[in-house]
Amino acid sequence: MAEPLLEVDELTVDYLTETADVRAVDRVSFRLDAGEFLGIVGESGCGKSTLLFGMTQLLSPPGEVTGGSVVFRGRDMVRLSPGELRNTRWRDYSVVMQSAMNALNPMKSIGAQFKDALEAHGDPSAEQIRQRSVEVLGLVGIDAAHLRSYPHQLSGGMRQRAMIAMALLFTPQLVIMDEPTSALDVVAQRSLMSKIKDLQRSLGFAIIFVTHDMSVVSRYSDRVMVMYAGQTAEEAPTDAIFERPLHPYTRGLMTAFPSVTGPRRELAGIPGAPPDLVRPPSGCRFNPRCPEVMPVCRSREPELYVVDDADVRCLLYAERPAEAR
Amino acid sequence: MADEPLLRAVDLTRHFRLGGMFEKQVLHAVDDFDLTIHEREIVALVGESGSGKSTVARLLARVYPPTRGEIYYRGRPIHTLRSRRALSWYRGEVAMVFQDPFSAFNPVFRVSHGVMRNIALHRPELKRAQRQPEAERVCQSVGLGPKMLTRFPYEMSGGERQRIGFAQALAVRPKLILADEPVSMLDVSIRAGVLNMMAGLRDQEGVSILYITHDIASARYVADRVIVMYAGHLVESGPTEAVLGDPRHPYTQLLLSAVGDPREKVELISSDTGEPPRVINPSEGCRFRWRCPHAIEICGQVTPQPMPVGSTQVACHVAAPAPQGLTGPAVTTKT
Repeated sequence: MAEPLLEVDELTVDYLTETADVRAVDRVSFRLDAGEFLGIVGESGCGKSTLLFGMTQLLSPPGEVTGGSVVFRGRDMVRLSPGELRNTRWRDYSVVMQSAMNALNPMKSIGAQFKDALEAHGDPSAEQIRQRSVEVLGLVGIDAAHLRSYPHQLSGGMRQRAMIAMALLFTPQLVIMDEPTSALDVVAQRSLMSKIKDLQRSLGFAIIFVTHDMSVVSRYSDRVMVMYAGQTAEEAPTDAIFERPLHPYTRGLMTAFPSVTGPRRELAGIPGAPPDLVRPPSGCRFNPRCPEVMPVCRSREPELYVVDDADVRCLLYAERPAEAR
Repeated sequence: MADEPLLRAVDLTRHFRLGGMFEKQVLHAVDDFDLTIHEREIVALVGESGSGKSTVARLLARVYPPTRGEIYYRGRPIHTLRSRRALSWYRGEVAMVFQDPFSAFNPVFRVSHGVMRNIALHRPELKRAQRQPEAERVCQSVGLGPKMLTRFPYEMSGGERQRIGFAQALAVRPKLILADEPVSMLDVSIRAGVLNMMAGLRDQEGVSILYITHDIASARYVADRVIVMYAGHLVESGPTEAVLGDPRHPYTQLLLSAVGDPREKVELISSDTGEPPRVINPSEGCRFRWRCPHAIEICGQVTPQPMPVGSTQVACHVAAPAPQGLTGPAVTTKT
């Protein structure tokens, strides 16, 4: 296999507070090939946003990367100096935040913010800036007239698309998206997802897409990673995970979203709340909420087990790797 | 049950003036909207952001008065209520639950504060000593333990807070709860629990609920009837299974195609950008015509009125053409 674009190895992020150290991301590993679409799914508080911030050095204290590496194009991103970081950030990879209203500067027009980003990585002429800005706005389907608009003059969906346009200014190889659609309603969400997928196909960048709603990534991602309480619960190709979810938590997520087609089944969801990471439950972290809990789950901590082409952290698959086939 | 429904709104209209003193821009948030809610019924009001669905909830809650139109609660006119006492009575009958469980509570009070206050204000028949047991009872009916009452909002998860929102509403013993997007800020895994709780409140406490949402799929699981709104107009309404199983209006069809089945490999590549219009100084005509794949000439000239099609009401010239003689200017003078 070719060298991956990004390789995250045992990344660990701690929040070092006065009273307790909280491990928000616990030895998470994954790899991403060029042009691949990875969906990261989990509930609030599972560490999915912290994982992104850790990877991109966007953590603010008391958050700190305390172990592991993130190798992107041959360099370890968590050990870059501020200067090197400034060089590579936005040019080689970009980040689209959850709330575009807060991520865009309310005092500057869209065009001025594009100009700032372009000037940070070179010395383009005014004409080049204008040309590139119009080009990327066109990519996301926004009229060039909106270069003079301020964020408050755009609707939620347009703001989010403007953010994506900004992320594409330098045609990076990796775009990281933190719940870009969760503030939008369903129709806008679908049209934005189709737009993202179209752009990815034509421009060939890789995407890491974080969301709490499995149904959002199901049609678009190549692989899905499910996170629970700071750890990888399951990672598999999208088709496999929807065909045959292995982890009881993944199965719970699958029954949580309502569907308009097919039989009207009971909406189950997952009872209970994610654990407090200051005192994670002993054994498997999902055991207090798990419908298939066994006595051993309360004492033994599961590793990631390989089942077909999936990795799953569940003791159901520990003792009988041959039978699972 | 008598013929008079629990709540009935007729020709409900709300306009907002925009801009400075001399500008004549009027935003039509809701236009000629009819709605009925019966006892023990969950009605889902579905639409995109900006469709006017929250304005409808605020009109029904009398947060602000309608520009035009009438609201009747058990036959009693509500749009004319003026006195503090009458409004306080109405708020004891019709309670509201808000979208954002993270900003709906005062952070410096324990959650018992809001629940107990509502009991004290709206339940004069209860003696002081009876209030605490009643607060614990409403807490249990939303699926929380009585210990939750002593917590502060920051000690609770989003799902728990939204349940407290319902407990606060229930504390006044309402007949109707107006729930404005109660689950849209919650994680998908927690939504199901809140939706099931709403269905339980209808079955056990006998309250009716107006469930406002942009997610038409979730309406299927709790609602008895669905009303679809677009740009301030009612576009389709009827029993849930009829509207979702056989949608007639092109907008309802668009909403349903947007949710679809997540497991299906469907490519939805359309030019539709999902932008509802801001209805400023509108002219006559269907407000969906710019996004509609079936738009014909008349759609730009005459505002379609809801017409019965089977068990549903549909406002569309193509799906539900008005009978001859009714398409003239007589019905078009409304807007």
